[in-house]
Amino acid sequence: MTPSLGGPGAGCSVTRVRRLLAGELRGTPRERALEHLAGCTRCQASERELHLEAEALARALPFDRFAAGVAEHLARIDGRSARPRRLPKFIPLALAAAMFLGVGIPLVAHISERPGEGGLRVKGAPSLALYAEGQGGARLLDPGEKVPDGAHLRIALGPASFTEAVVVLLDRDGATLLYAGKARAGPLPGAFEWTGARRGLVVAVFSNAPIEPSDLVARLSREGVKGAAMPKAVVLTLDLERGSAQ
Amino acid sequence: MARFLVIPGGRTEAVGPGPSTALPEGGLVEELYRRYAPAVYGRCRWLLRDEEAAKDATQEVFARALKSLPEFRGASSPTSWLMRIATHHCLNELRARRARWREEWARLAGERREEGVLPDRRELLRALLGEVGAEEQEVAVMYYADELTQVEIAEVTGRSLPTVRKRLRTFLRTARSALSAAFPDLTFPEEDLP
Repeated sequence: MTPSLGGPGAGCSVTRVRRLLAGELRGTPRERALEHLAGCTRCQASERELHLEAEALARALPFDRFAAGVAEHLARIDGRSARPRRLPKFIPLALAAAMFLGVGIPLVAHISERPGEGGLRVKGAPSLALYAEGQGGARLLDPGEKVPDGAHLRIALGPASFTEAVVVLLDRDGATLLYAGKARAGPLPGAFEWTGARRGLVVAVFSNAPIEPSDLVARLSREGVKGAAMPKAVVLTLDLERGSAQ
Repeated sequence: MARFLVIPGGRTEAVGPGPSTALPEGGLVEELYRRYAPAVYGRCRWLLRDEEAAKDATQEVFARALKSLPEFRGASSPTSWLMRIATHHCLNELRARRARWREEWARLAGERREEGVLPDRRELLRALLGEVGAEEQEVAVMYYADELTQVEIAEVTGRSLPTVRKRLRTFLRTARSALSAAFPDLTFPEEDLP
């Protein structure tokens, strides 16, 4: 008996079908691929298989979990770097943020069911990250690193399975709402410059129930970070300290 | 255009931009997920045979792609580029866990309980990958699983066509020997590569 391992056939290639479905083929190559596919049972089988792969992925790893996981891996890759990594100067902050869409950085984030009590960050948990744009481009701030004076800052979330998020900057001057809305993986829209007190805190509250941002801001202003506590919510905090060097 | 907010010192009450809108649909990662993740996940599942490891590997592959975005975008075929990264990653994982390879033949024999039933093509290929070196593994996956031609493999890997051909022949020679040892009633056709 002679088993077959397969291999490319005359005009048949699963990679060509993959490229077609991914929208990589244009013009004549696309026309040819479509024409071939219409009359080739082998490539039609490949196409069916690719649709099954997509269904399997959607079941096993929905987009939100995928994005959060990619964020964790990016954080790990960054963590493996011995030195802070600067993105090339030509990449503006917005593009850098888009590049790292979904990134969640452990940084000095503390995860705690009860605010104020630090804990370990665990896989699958939400994450909070801070980028700073300086002269060298946009980059992730390292744990404990001071926030450069005048830096344009941007927050990125890794919400894991949470659907709602509110992010507030808290310092001795008060609480400022940075974001309230759907908890989507990636950088939040809008950058900010923090010119307030020397020390501060970014507080992110993740929940599967809607969070009233004005109530939260009021509680944080009144009670400090303890005011972030709410049922079935996870609170992440990120310590900020301003420095003079960038 | 993204908003920019200055949060000043000395403020006396909560100020802020108000609730923001979330990132728009169709962001970069979402697009990558939709277009490429199914094939990458399929590759990781096939090679690793472990759902959790495959999910983790898929995420790792896309994290690497995002870290090398200019290279990814500059690839003549992003699909081939990603599949190559995925294959490398999974084969490295398997090399780090050598025992998994050794289990393959036993598992394959268990699945093929009676003569006259051919082993699944891709399961057989996967078992044979454990018998060869890293370069032969990569070329064999591209040829037999991705169905790239030898010329296409040479382009993707940057190797010469004779080198690709040599790697495939080495793979096939080793595969014949491994197959006859595991399943004496089976043999690959004697004809050479096309």
